[in-house]
Amino acid sequence: MAIDGLIVLDNTGRPIIQSGFRSTSTAYPLLHVDAFNSALSKASRPQDIDPVIYVPAYNNVESPSACCHVSCGDIRFLCPVSGDDPLFAFAFLRTFIDILYEYFGNVSATTMKENFDVVYQLLEETLDSGGHPLTTSPNALRDIVLPPSLLTKLLSVAGANINSTINSGSGLGAAGGPFSSPIPWRKAGLRYASNEIYFDMVEELKAIVNKHGVTVSSSVWGKIETNSKLSGTPDCLLTFTNARVLTDCAFHPCVRLQRWTRDKALSFVPPDGRFVLAEYRYSPNPSTTPASGSASATSTAIANLAKDNVPIPFSIKMAIDLEASGGSFDITLTSRLSTRPLENLVAEFNLGEGSGAIKCVASRGLGGFGSRLGMESGVPGNIGASWAFDSNKKVLRWEITSIPPSSVWNLHGSFSTSTSVPRPAHALQVRFEIQSHTFSALKVEQLKVTGETYKPYKGVRGRSIGNVEWRW
Amino acid sequence: MSGGQYLNSITENASRLGMRLQESFSEHTRDLTIARGASAAYLDTSDDKSKNIRKQLDSNSDREKLDAMKRLVALISKGRNVSEYFAQVVKNVASQNLEIRKLVYIYLLRYAEQEPDLALLSINTFQKDLTDSNPLIRAMALRVLSGIKVPMIGSIVVLAIKKCAADISPYVRKAAALAIPKCYELDSSHLPALIGIISTLLRDRSPLSIGSVAVAFEAVCPTRLDILHQQYRRLCKILVDVDEWGQVDLLNLLLRYARTMLPRPLVREDGVEELDTDVKLLLTSAEPVLQSRNPAVVLAAARVIYYAAPPSYLSKIVNPLLRLLTTSKEVERVVLVYLLAISKTTPSLFAPFYPRFLVRTDDMRQVKKDKIRLLLNVLNIDNYSAILRELIDYADDVEDSIVSEAIGALGKCARIIPEATQQCLTALITLIRSPHDAVVSSAVMVLKYLVQVQLSVAAPTGGSTSQSPLSIISHLARRIDDIKHAQARACVLWLVGQYAQSDEPTAGPEGIASWAPNVLRKIAKTFGQEASLVKLQIITLAAKLLVLCPVDRTLGLLTRYVFSLARYDLNYDVRDRAKMLSSLLAGVSPSGLANGEEPEERGGVVLRREQVRLVLFEGKSGIVDDEPSHLDDATAMLGSLGLVTGKPVPIDGVLPDWLENGVESSLRDSEDDALPQPVAPTALSSAQQQYRGKSMTPVVLTPTGTSRPNSRNESTSARGPWTDLDKFYEDAGDEDEDEDEEEESDESQESEEESEEDGNSEGDHPDPVASHQEVLNSSASDEEDSKEENEDEDSHLLDSGGWQTQTPP
Repeated sequence: MAIDGLIVLDNTGRPIIQSGFRSTSTAYPLLHVDAFNSALSKASRPQDIDPVIYVPAYNNVESPSACCHVSCGDIRFLCPVSGDDPLFAFAFLRTFIDILYEYFGNVSATTMKENFDVVYQLLEETLDSGGHPLTTSPNALRDIVLPPSLLTKLLSVAGANINSTINSGSGLGAAGGPFSSPIPWRKAGLRYASNEIYFDMVEELKAIVNKHGVTVSSSVWGKIETNSKLSGTPDCLLTFTNARVLTDCAFHPCVRLQRWTRDKALSFVPPDGRFVLAEYRYSPNPSTTPASGSASATSTAIANLAKDNVPIPFSIKMAIDLEASGGSFDITLTSRLSTRPLENLVAEFNLGEGSGAIKCVASRGLGGFGSRLGMESGVPGNIGASWAFDSNKKVLRWEITSIPPSSVWNLHGSFSTSTSVPRPAHALQVRFEIQSHTFSALKVEQLKVTGETYKPYKGVRGRSIGNVEWRW
Repeated sequence: MSGGQYLNSITENASRLGMRLQESFSEHTRDLTIARGASAAYLDTSDDKSKNIRKQLDSNSDREKLDAMKRLVALISKGRNVSEYFAQVVKNVASQNLEIRKLVYIYLLRYAEQEPDLALLSINTFQKDLTDSNPLIRAMALRVLSGIKVPMIGSIVVLAIKKCAADISPYVRKAAALAIPKCYELDSSHLPALIGIISTLLRDRSPLSIGSVAVAFEAVCPTRLDILHQQYRRLCKILVDVDEWGQVDLLNLLLRYARTMLPRPLVREDGVEELDTDVKLLLTSAEPVLQSRNPAVVLAAARVIYYAAPPSYLSKIVNPLLRLLTTSKEVERVVLVYLLAISKTTPSLFAPFYPRFLVRTDDMRQVKKDKIRLLLNVLNIDNYSAILRELIDYADDVEDSIVSEAIGALGKCARIIPEATQQCLTALITLIRSPHDAVVSSAVMVLKYLVQVQLSVAAPTGGSTSQSPLSIISHLARRIDDIKHAQARACVLWLVGQYAQSDEPTAGPEGIASWAPNVLRKIAKTFGQEASLVKLQIITLAAKLLVLCPVDRTLGLLTRYVFSLARYDLNYDVRDRAKMLSSLLAGVSPSGLANGEEPEERGGVVLRREQVRLVLFEGKSGIVDDEPSHLDDATAMLGSLGLVTGKPVPIDGVLPDWLENGVESSLRDSEDDALPQPVAPTALSSAQQQYRGKSMTPVVLTPTGTSRPNSRNESTSARGPWTDLDKFYEDAGDEDEDEDEEEESDESQESEEESEEDGNSEGDHPDPVASHQEVLNSSASDEEDSKEENEDEDSHLLDSGGWQTQTPP
C-alpha cells in the first residue's frame, strides 16, 4: 500500500506545496492538479465533486490513476494513487492534516506559506519517497521536527541554534533525543509541574426524520478526546459505570485491546498532549449476548434497531406551499428538552436553483418572555434568532443561539424562483449543541494511574452535538 | 522595499534581538511579527533575489545558509528547477545544523539523479553519518543514500543497508527496510544480498519495522513466500503491536501467504467448517485490528476475513465497516463501494442495518447513488416497505440523476419482492403527476418496465392485484395530456399501441381496447408540436391500430391523416419511418394511406395483415436488464482502485486462489512456537493472551496438521525439529539485545514471566539455518531436496558466523 505523493493546492487551484514524486514523471503531479481543477469547475456544487477522481493515463506507458482529495479550510490536499486502496490515501491525508493542526493550530494557505519549511520537513518525515508513511505519531514527530513555537522563532531570529541540541543527541530537557522513547507514541522523559489529564466526551447524534415526523434512522457516535499532561510513563486504567452502552468501539493504538475485550476497561499509557482515546457508538439497549451466530445475530440486530433510536431533542412542524415561481413556508421548532437549553442551533434549508427574493420573519413563540417579537430582514434582535440567505448556495440559514427548555420558535416567509416550478430540497438540516450532556449518559467510574507516584488532576466533561435531517 | 533591503532589515532586526535577548522578550514582540512573516516572504519573492543564494550558501554563517536553503526549497515548491546550485548545496551536507542538513537532504533527494557526479561527492559524508550516535541522523543518511539514483554506488548502498539492518534502533532498521526496494530498483543484480537482508529483518523482534519489511518484501521478492514459513506464526501474533501503516502492509502480505500456502477453509455438508489452525491464527489475529481508528487498517483486516475466512466469520466485519461510514465524507464514499461489492454476494449480512444507508439530502451525488444501490441490494421481505417509503422520498431530490436512480430502484424493488408491486405501482402513478419532467419521465419508463415484466411473467398475477397491467396502461392512456415529457409521452404511446389489442367487445372499433383510438385522436391533433421522438411513436401507434382493425373507417382516416403529416415532416427519420410503415401496410389497407393520391407503383412483396402484425407486434416485449456493472466482476478486489473508480486499473492486485491442501504445516514450525517470547513492547501490548499459553508446548517432534502420505515429506519434517534442537543448544546462550521495549506491568505479567523463562531456556533465535537454505535456493519447490544437501553444512555455517559470509552456490 502506498500513495504517489501529496500536493497542497490553494483556493485558486495552484500548488503551494508538493512532495517529491520521485518515482513518477514530472507531468504526473500536474496531470492530477489539472484533473482536480477541471472536475471542480464542472461540478455544479463544490461538495458534489467526487472525492476519488479517475485520471486517465496520458500515454500508453503509464497506467491510469486516481486523485483522492480532501478540502480543509481554504486549501485542498490532493493525493494521487495508482492501483492501491483510496482509503489508504484518505487515512494518510487525515493523519497529515491532524499533524498540521497539531503544529500550526489552524490550517490555511497563509499558515502553509508562512511555515512551508516546516511543512516540507514534516512531509519528508511522514512520507517516505516510495509513498509509505513513516513517523506519524505527533509525539515522535515533535522530537524530529520542531514546531514553530514563539520561542523557536525568537531564538532563530536571534541567531541561536536550537537544533544543534537535537543534533548532539542531548535533546531538550531530559528527553534522550529522537527515537529514544521505548513507546512509539509517547515522548520519553516528560516532566510536568502539575500533572493533569482531561477527558472530553463528545457525542454526535445523526438522525433522519421522515415527513411524518417518524425517526427513521438515528445513531449516536461518541469520541473520547483526551488531553494528557502527565510526567514519566503513567499507566492509566479508565473504567466506566455503564460500559455496556458502548459498541462498535475503535481505539488509539495505546489502548490494550485485550483488556477491553476482557473487562471493558481502558488500560493505556497515554501519548503526550491531545489525542482521541476511543470512538464508540452508543447503543441504548445493548444485547446481552454478543453477536456470534449469523442467524441469531441478525434477529437480535433487528430487534435492537427498533429500540436503538435515540429521541430527537426537538420537533419541527413545516408547512410549505409551492406555487408557480415561488412559495411560502412556515416552520415551527419546539424544544423537547425539559432542563437544558439547545445551543447554537442552525437549520439550513436549500431553496433550490434560481431562488431569491426571500422575505422572512424569525420569531419566538409561546413560552418564556418576549413572545411574538418580530424581526425583519435577518437583523439579530435581542430574541436570539436570525436568518440569512446564501445566494451562492441558495441556502436559507436560520440560527438560534439558545433555545430554553420547551420553548417554541418560528420562521415564516416566502421566496420566489426564476424557474416556473420551484424545487427546494425536501429536508431541513438541523445542527445543534447541548453543553454538559451526553446522550449515552456515559459515566466514568474511576481513573487509576499506576507506575508513577504523583496524584494527577483528572477532569471529565461531556458535550453533545447533533445533525438531524428533518424531511417534509 | 526591495528584496535586498528587506532581507537586511530582517537580519538587522534579528541581530538586534539577539543582543537584547536577555533584557526583555516582550519589548520586541513587534520585531517578531516581522520575523513571522518571513517564511511567507520566501515563497513570494521574485526570481531576481535568488542571485544571492550562491553567495549565502558559501558563507560561514549558519543563518545565511539556512536562509539560502529556505529560498531554494521555496523555489522548488514553486516548481522551478534549481539544480544549478547543486555544487554549493552538496558542500553543506555535513553542516552541524540539523535544520540546514534536513533542507539539504530534501534538495539532494530531488536533484541527485540529475547530477550524479556531484552527488558522489556527498557519499563520504553519508557513510560517516551512518555511524552517528543519533538514530535520526543514521536513518536520514541511509534514506538519502538510497535515494541517490546513481547505479555505481549500488554496492555501497547494499553495505549501508546491511549495516543499518542490524542497527539497535528500530527506526533505523525501518529505514533500512524501506531502502531495500530503492536499491533493488537501482541495480537488480543485488537481489540475492537484498533477499538475505529481508529475511534477517523478518526475524526482527520489534514490531516497529516489520511493516516496512513487508513493503520491501512485496517490492523485491513477492514470489518468495517460502521465506515466510518460519515467520508466519510470529508475524500473526505481533500484528496487533505493529504501527497502523505497517499493519496494512503486513495484513496484505499475510493474506497473500495464506491464500498461497494454506489449505482452503471448507464447509462440510453438515455445516461444520473445517479450518486449518494457521488460517485460524491469522483470522483471530486480524480480528482485534478491526478496532483500529485508521480506516485503511480496518479495511485491510476486513479484507483478510472476507477473503480467507469461512462464511461464519463474515458477520465480524459488518459493524467495523459500517462504523467507517461515519468517519468522513470521503471515507464514506469509498467504503460504500466496498459494501456494495460485499452485499452483492451476501446481502443478508447488511440487511438489518439498512437505516445506516439512508440517503441524506446533503450527501454528495455519488454517495446518494451508491446508497440507493445498496438499499436495493439489502432489500428483503422484512424491510421492503420501509425501504420503499425511503425510495419514494428520494424521488423528491433536487437532482435529476438521483431522481431517476431512485425511481428506477422502485421498479427493481417490485421485481425483487413481488409483494411490493402494488405499493410501487401506486407510488409511480402518483409520481406521474409531478410537475418535474425528470420525475415523470423516469416514472413512466419504470411503469413500462413493470407492466412488461408483469405481462411477460404470467397472466394470473395480473388478477391478484387490483391494478392489472392493462388497467395501468389504460390509466396512462387517459392521462396522456398530463404527461409532458417527450420521452415519457413516446413511451406511453408505445405501450398503448403494443397492448391495445383486446378481445372484449367494446363500443369502439372491434378488437381494440376502448381507450386506444382516443389516444390516437388526441395525439394526432398535436402532431405538429410534438418532438420527433414522439412523432415516431405516433406513426407506430397509428400503424398498429390499423393492423388490429383495418376495417374501421374513422381509424383509417386518422391513420391517413397522421401519415400524410409525417410524410412532409422536417425530420427525415420521421419521413423515413412513415414511408416504411406505409409500404408495410400496403397490403392491409390498400386505399388507406396515400391520402387521396393515386397509390404509387410498388415493386416487391406485399405483406398480408397477419404478416404485418407479426412484424409490428412480436418480439418487442423483451425486458432489458441493467447493464452489467463493474461490481459484478468477480476479480474486482475489495480495496482496489478499480472497484472505486469503476474503471479497470491494471495494477490492481489479484489474490491467488487457495491451494487445495496447502503446503506442509510443519514448514511453519519454528522454535518461536515453542518459545513464548513476549511480543516486544509488552508495556503497550495488546497482544492476545491465549497464544502464550499455547506456545508453551515444547518443540514439535512429529508433524501436526495435514500430513500427506508422502514418506519423504514426513522424514524431512520429522528431521526439521531435530536440527532445530541441535542449533538451539548452540544458540541457547545468545540473548537478543534489541529488547528496547519495556516490560508490561500488568496482571498478566506472571504468566508471561513463566512462559518467558521457558522460552529463554530454549534460546530465542529463530532458525537461521532454515532461512539460509531458502536464501540459497531460488525456489520453494526444491527446498526439501536442498535441506538434505545442506544439512551437513548447517553446523559449519553457524560456526562461521552466520550466513552473511556465504555466497550462493
